[in-house]
Amino acid sequence: MKSSIHLVHLSDDQILNTLSGDVSAGVAAHLANCSICSRRVAEAEAPIASFKAVTLAWSERRSATLPLQPPAAPPLAWHRRAVMAATATAALLVGISVPLVRNEAPSAPVVTSPATATPSSTAEVATVSTPALTAAMQHKIPEAPAAVETAQTKPQDEQIARDNQMLQNIDRALDNSVESPADTYELQPISSQGPARERAKTLEN
Amino acid sequence: MQLALDATLTNVQTSERSSSELEDIDALVRTYRPRLLRFVTFSIGDADLAESITQDCFLKAYNGRASFRGDCAVNTWLTSIAMNLIRDQQRLQKFRFWRQARATAIDVNEAANFLPSKECSAESRVLIKEQTKHVQAALANLSVNQRSIFLMRFGQDMELAEIAAAIHMPLNTVKTHLHRALKSVRAQVGGIR
Repeated sequence: MKSSIHLVHLSDDQILNTLSGDVSAGVAAHLANCSICSRRVAEAEAPIASFKAVTLAWSERRSATLPLQPPAAPPLAWHRRAVMAATATAALLVGISVPLVRNEAPSAPVVTSPATATPSSTAEVATVSTPALTAAMQHKIPEAPAAVETAQTKPQDEQIARDNQMLQNIDRALDNSVESPADTYELQPISSQGPARERAKTLEN
Repeated sequence: MQLALDATLTNVQTSERSSSELEDIDALVRTYRPRLLRFVTFSIGDADLAESITQDCFLKAYNGRASFRGDCAVNTWLTSIAMNLIRDQQRLQKFRFWRQARATAIDVNEAANFLPSKECSAESRVLIKEQTKHVQAALANLSVNQRSIFLMRFGQDMELAEIAAAIHMPLNTVKTHLHRALKSVRAQVGGIR
């Protein structure tokens, strides 16, 4: 039996199977007794062993230079969800409060001097938007006590009056005819009765 | 009966140990990253991409640690997660896989310098470098399955049955792939023996 094991050496396929870990009992017995086949297996194994050693040394070195980044723990995920929910709620509240403030704006006291009634577009815009803006900026709360409200409305009214006055001044300044350099040349705006037309009429006649 | 009970107890203990191993992410990374990084690097041939895949793998493993049943080794479990990530990557970059990746492939000459100098002489170091280069070249020419199975067997030291379970492939198919891979590697390194 022993001699029959030694008679036939392992084939290449059997050596490959041995390398892959698929060793039958017969092959194992042969390898235990045949130094030639054992050497062949060792020779076939050597490049793989070298590859393993070199690549492991490389990856250990490379891995050592990489930072240990612990992943986000589950509480963090919960925390992130909570933050997102809070942000969404805040956005919703802002979304609701802005139209409320806008609706409230016309009821806010508007101080207009008789001059404000002049058909100036800038002044109109200022009268409409300023109280709403001021109310929004001062975070006016409708449920606030009356005393606080009156205390707040006085400087507010003054401020509105000052703003309106300023806007009127700007309007007036814009309306005033400023002397233009074109005036020195006595240039006239082109009218339908220009010299060219007059000449054309004369020719027609 | 007693033997069966002992085996069950051992399995339970191993499972508990593996589960607790997954709780400590730092220890997990420290223990398994070098081998996993090597597996991914040589599976895709791109060291930079391999780093990010390895990182993703640990994140997935940590986040999904509750799903780990302990019926296999942590190493096997991590390898199968990495394998799935590699497959995803392959699907994304099917045509430029390995071709463009070689730009950031590892340099064997440089890698061989990391070998402990006490362990081998200058001559054997040269031989090791040559052998490694040839195996690396042979790996590049293998099919995806052959390469993965080769690396699982010789890089991750996984048993054939473990490989079959990890990649959901019949055992005989795994054997065939490995046999072909070894044949190809042997043919490549044959000249330097």
